[in-house]
Amino acid sequence: MRHSFIDRYANLDSPLHMLEPRTKLIGFTGMIVAILMTPPTHGFAFFVYLFLIAIFMGISQIPLPYLVGRALLLLPFVLLAAVATPRTNGQGLYAFGIVLVRSILCLLILILLTNTTRFTEMLKGLQGLGCPRILTLNLGFLYRYLFVLTDETLRMRQARDCRRVRRAGMVDELKLLGSMLGTLLARSFERAESMYQAMLSRGFAGKFYVTSPRKFSWLDLGFLSAMAVFLAISLWR
Amino acid sequence: MDDYAVRLTRLSYTYPDGSKALDGLDLDVRKGERIAVVGPSGAGKSTLLLHLNGILAGSGTVRVLGRPVEEPNLEVIRKEVGLVFQDPNDQLFCPTVYEDIAFGPLNLSVPPEEIPRRVERALHDVGLEYTIRSRSSHHLSQGERKRVALATVLVMQPAILALDEPTSNLDPRNRRHLIELMASLSATLVIATHDLELVLSLCQRTVLLDRGKIWADGETRQLLGNDRLMKEHGLEVPLSLRVFDRMARPS
Repeated sequence: MRHSFIDRYANLDSPLHMLEPRTKLIGFTGMIVAILMTPPTHGFAFFVYLFLIAIFMGISQIPLPYLVGRALLLLPFVLLAAVATPRTNGQGLYAFGIVLVRSILCLLILILLTNTTRFTEMLKGLQGLGCPRILTLNLGFLYRYLFVLTDETLRMRQARDCRRVRRAGMVDELKLLGSMLGTLLARSFERAESMYQAMLSRGFAGKFYVTSPRKFSWLDLGFLSAMAVFLAISLWR
Repeated sequence: MDDYAVRLTRLSYTYPDGSKALDGLDLDVRKGERIAVVGPSGAGKSTLLLHLNGILAGSGTVRVLGRPVEEPNLEVIRKEVGLVFQDPNDQLFCPTVYEDIAFGPLNLSVPPEEIPRRVERALHDVGLEYTIRSRSSHHLSQGERKRVALATVLVMQPAILALDEPTSNLDPRNRRHLIELMASLSATLVIATHDLELVLSLCQRTVLLDRGKIWADGETRQLLGNDRLMKEHGLEVPLSLRVFDRMARPS
């Protein structure tokens, strides 16, 4: 079955895609930190950030509707977070607005990051930056089996729909959902066991090895220095 | 040094839930032999394969290339016995094809600079383009996945290949490719399968396994052609043999 993948446009080859994953991780994280640290009084700075993100979006060659669509998909969560922020200094609506703007900007950056970097390269980047192997490994498994799990869920839903003529009551629906989740969990356990057996069969002895990552180039150096200068200026004021 | 690839003596295995999967098996496989293990579902075929490289350990002895399958030998034995699982989704657990194929050799401490060459070779052996290496397994078709699963094992250059239902879920063309591929290998093959036509075209010898016991062991055509035996164990004489039999009979 076909899914919309989280890194659907990660295989393009724009300058942004060609950057070493570590560069992007550092650069984009730096930007997120800057956005979060910019005081609410510096309203203008947020426009500068948005402008920069818009430039990146342009460079990335990813269709704009896709990027915006992704952001809209996650908007409800952002709204929830914004509503939940405590408003102490009497500037309720303004504080709400600032949290909203910050969240949306960060969201756009993350969407850009995940769609300009292949997931596997991102994992290598994280590892190169000292992220523990066990964590990147589990993220790797997650990425690999997310699709298997989605497939199984979709198939199970189809099987359910084939045998169901009309909707049952709320309680029965929930019961059905519960047993479907249970089945999925049981299957995942079995899958994990077979997978581990497959790993052992290929000589796994508790230690993981990696193949060599992408090279650091002048493009990366340029990107990082430009980013550093920009952030320094925007935070200086 | 004997010339047996695999020797099982009185092998029994009981699953943790108490169900007996293997019940006193004796089986010898000579080097270079291609042997099929047939039997109804739940006969113990997959469990048997998992004993060949020490993933499961029952009572009795398992010897591979003269070595007992026990803790100190497991590293060598897992290099020599390549196990291909029925579901490629179990076998392919890495984010990309390349990493999956490189997983085994890296565990065997193959020098890193030799890995790309080995991966390329393995992909070539299973009839896939080298460009497929950077793709994720979930983007592949079932046929491609099965082949990559085989490549992840071939890359370790095993002396013995144990395959669990290699042709299940394959369309006729992919099935044909896979059979040709298996026929071209020089390794000892142990194939657990329901695909009796595959057995006829590939294996000289067949073992019939049912309820954890071996009921027959012999020349493939003779064994698969035994109508009474096959029916008794939930199988049937392959169509090609029946047709051949009818044609050979004087009218």
